Amino acid sequence: MKAYLVLPSLALTALALTGCVATSESDAGTSVAVSSTDDACTLTASTAPAGAVTFRVANDGTDVTEFYLYAEDGTTVVGELEDVGPGIARSFTVTLDAGTYVAACKPGMTGDGIRSPFTAN
Amino acid sequence: MLANYLIGLREGLEAALVVGILVAYLVRTERRHMLRYVWFGVGIAAGVSLALGAALTLGPRGLSFQAQEAIGGFLSIGAVALITWMIFWMAKTAGHLKGNLEGAMENALNVGSGAVLAMALIAVGREGLETALFLWAGITASGSSTAPITGAVLGLATALALGLLIYRGAIKLNLRTFFQWTGVFLIIIAGGVLAYGIHDLQEAGILPGEHTVLFDVSAQIPGSSVPGTILKGVFNFSPETTVFQAVAWIGYVVPVMWMFVRTAFRTSAPKPASTDERALAHA
Repeated sequence: MKAYLVLPSLALTALALTGCVATSESDAGTSVAVSSTDDACTLTASTAPAGAVTFRVANDGTDVTEFYLYAEDGTTVVGELEDVGPGIARSFTVTLDAGTYVAACKPGMTGDGIRSPFTAN
Repeated sequence: MLANYLIGLREGLEAALVVGILVAYLVRTERRHMLRYVWFGVGIAAGVSLALGAALTLGPRGLSFQAQEAIGGFLSIGAVALITWMIFWMAKTAGHLKGNLEGAMENALNVGSGAVLAMALIAVGREGLETALFLWAGITASGSSTAPITGAVLGLATALALGLLIYRGAIKLNLRTFFQWTGVFLIIIAGGVLAYGIHDLQEAGILPGEHTVLFDVSAQIPGSSVPGTILKGVFNFSPETTVFQAVAWIGYVVPVMWMFVRTAFRTSAPKPASTDERALAHA
């Protein structure tokens, strides 16, 4: 019985430890608020210092939305937030190297989304 | 509120169905004393998920995107292994039941308490963290509006009710039929969980081919629609399916289904049945 429980727990703990990133600004990160509506995707900033960046995505629309941060190629996902229901705000943190990225909201979870460039410097 | 309701429904549906079938299996094979391991597993998974979700939502540290996807991916593949195992208890038990005779329970596979606990734990835990994060976001938002969290909780409650319903149905079915068809159903569910896990690992960058898409019907069946929710919630159908996912799904479902059908639908031993039929005809 132990192997069933011990192995997954160990794997999870290891992942959780290596995968943790700071979410609060006091841990030297930047915060960007995103407002996703049915036809717009507004970011409070289009640049941030390289390092930990927290995106706080608020769904101000009527349908479920998703937020993606792509690498410069516009297809490689650097970070994402799925299932942001109407009226809900969720956040995630990524560690960004200096460079150009693409931010996208996908109201209704279809298509390429409403995209805008995002720069870490 | 409807959108959040559908997310809650989708997140809870698969766990509710798997646990419902597991409970039905234990009850029908006269192993009620093992039910406590089910509830124990469900309780631990729900408790740990909620606590972790709270720590990640309210605390100073969150999970990176890759870590979250990797956890989802590995848990899913673990879940597939456990569900597959459960499917073959059912196949063997169904194969042992000669015809429609009940009371052949001494032939039911002996299942360890650890296995039952692990099954309940992973069925709920797999999507538990994701669901908890969603719930905590809804609770945090409830300062401005309680509609999102109300919708989400109602969705989860509906999933629970559907799990209870499948349990009720399973309790009434003929025993052999029960094992045969829940097994078939579970194979399709497990195939979906595998494809879902593959996609998570693709997103985490552990497996390749994230952008090699086989088909994309997200315009026809949006994930936020009612059909999209049911398909996703039960079968983990993703409107945008990668080639790797499709190959994994077929590579799992086809051989497992073949082995299952051979074992569980094996025609019963020759022929006391004919006397039964004659007796029935005269009755």
